[in-house]
Amino acid sequence: MIDARAWLDKIRALDIGRPLRIMNVCGGHERSITQAGLRGALPANIELIPGPGCPVCVCPEEDIYQAIQLALKEQVILVAYGDMLRVPVNVPKSEPRSLDQAKAAGADVRPIASPTEAKQIALQHPEKKVVFFAAGFETTTAPTAALLAEGVPDNLTILLSGRLTWPAVAMLLDSDTPGFDALVAPGHVSTVMGPEEWQFVVERHNIPAAVAGFAPESLLAAFYSVLRQLKSGERFLDNCYPEVVQAGGNPTAQRMMRQTLDVVDANWRGIGIIPKSGYALKPAYAAHDARLVFPDHNGADSNQPGRKRAGQMPPGCDCARVVLGKIYPNQCRLFGTGCTPRHPIGPCMVSDEGACRIWWAGGVREQAEASATE
Amino acid sequence: MCLAIPMQIESVDGFMARCQAKGIYRDVSLFMMQDEPPQIGDYVMVHVGYAIQKVSEADARTAWELFDQILEETGGTGCAS
Repeated sequence: MIDARAWLDKIRALDIGRPLRIMNVCGGHERSITQAGLRGALPANIELIPGPGCPVCVCPEEDIYQAIQLALKEQVILVAYGDMLRVPVNVPKSEPRSLDQAKAAGADVRPIASPTEAKQIALQHPEKKVVFFAAGFETTTAPTAALLAEGVPDNLTILLSGRLTWPAVAMLLDSDTPGFDALVAPGHVSTVMGPEEWQFVVERHNIPAAVAGFAPESLLAAFYSVLRQLKSGERFLDNCYPEVVQAGGNPTAQRMMRQTLDVVDANWRGIGIIPKSGYALKPAYAAHDARLVFPDHNGADSNQPGRKRAGQMPPGCDCARVVLGKIYPNQCRLFGTGCTPRHPIGPCMVSDEGACRIWWAGGVREQAEASATE
Repeated sequence: MCLAIPMQIESVDGFMARCQAKGIYRDVSLFMMQDEPPQIGDYVMVHVGYAIQKVSEADARTAWELFDQILEETGGTGCAS
């Protein structure tokens, strides 16, 4: 196995002088890049851009609002992955602004680490309605599909905010300003869905792409692969995480997703509707679809009292541009001043997979001048 | 949220497996591994309580070393989910 230092030597030996931007679309990748200091170790002309890799960051504000209202007004047990609990929504200051605040106000909100916990809680409390607020990309949505396929208790419904990663990349590539020259594709999304999902990047857009794992060596191998492709002019989808990512992905998981979920047009917070980028429960599972079982608390209506900013990012927050790789986290107007992990304003500072939070944890404290990637 | 951690299967009961990684035990669903059912002693990548792929012992150990480094740098909370 080639170590990180040797990969860096190989990258430097390519000696590509012109500025090049490599985008990643996975919070785990961004965390490894930042923690290992890979940005500073690469030649100065190579930029690493964190792109749409944080499902919490793009989860619609109205979905979080709906989850808060269900917890407060329907006396349900609301379970969600821990990252979701601190994301603020746009309501008057007198109202609970997050699931955590709803819990402090008396609602039964519980963080879980697995869909199996949602099922256990529903079985332990047959007298209560349990709502599983399930946000996530493909890797995290597949277990929710498995939960449905295996069978869920009557008192468990799912508020699904599942998203597909590749349509956001396709949207960027179809725009006039994609903002990157090469793509590092997500390792665990590819583990489940198969690396072939990313073939379109190479074939349709002539952009080099490589699937990477989470060790610095795997990421550097992927950087080397796409840089070598940029230099030589050849194009292919490389797999730099072959120990886990196999051709075709996980067929069982994909079958369960097809069995239980439809792919639908979906809203990304601050970005808008991206065609065929979200998951919804199939009609056969309507009895477990929280959107159908609790239709009264849809938070999308901006005419409701206190909901003037329904669906939007908080005022001044540049999370949407950070998510799309248009600016770096520390180019946000609020980074490190109004918005810190202790007092987050935007979802990118809340989630462990948000680029703002990762950069802050990596020691970036100062704002940078807005310019670089736009 | 897409983080997956390799764990070794110690026992299996239906679709649930008792798995361990460096002395930490978890109940893991094998429901998404039905096309390639893992056996006791195998290593699997675990994401939100579900096995998503088999891996070799060597690759599992390499990944554990990486997580040790992450945990050191994040004060022990980095791999919670």
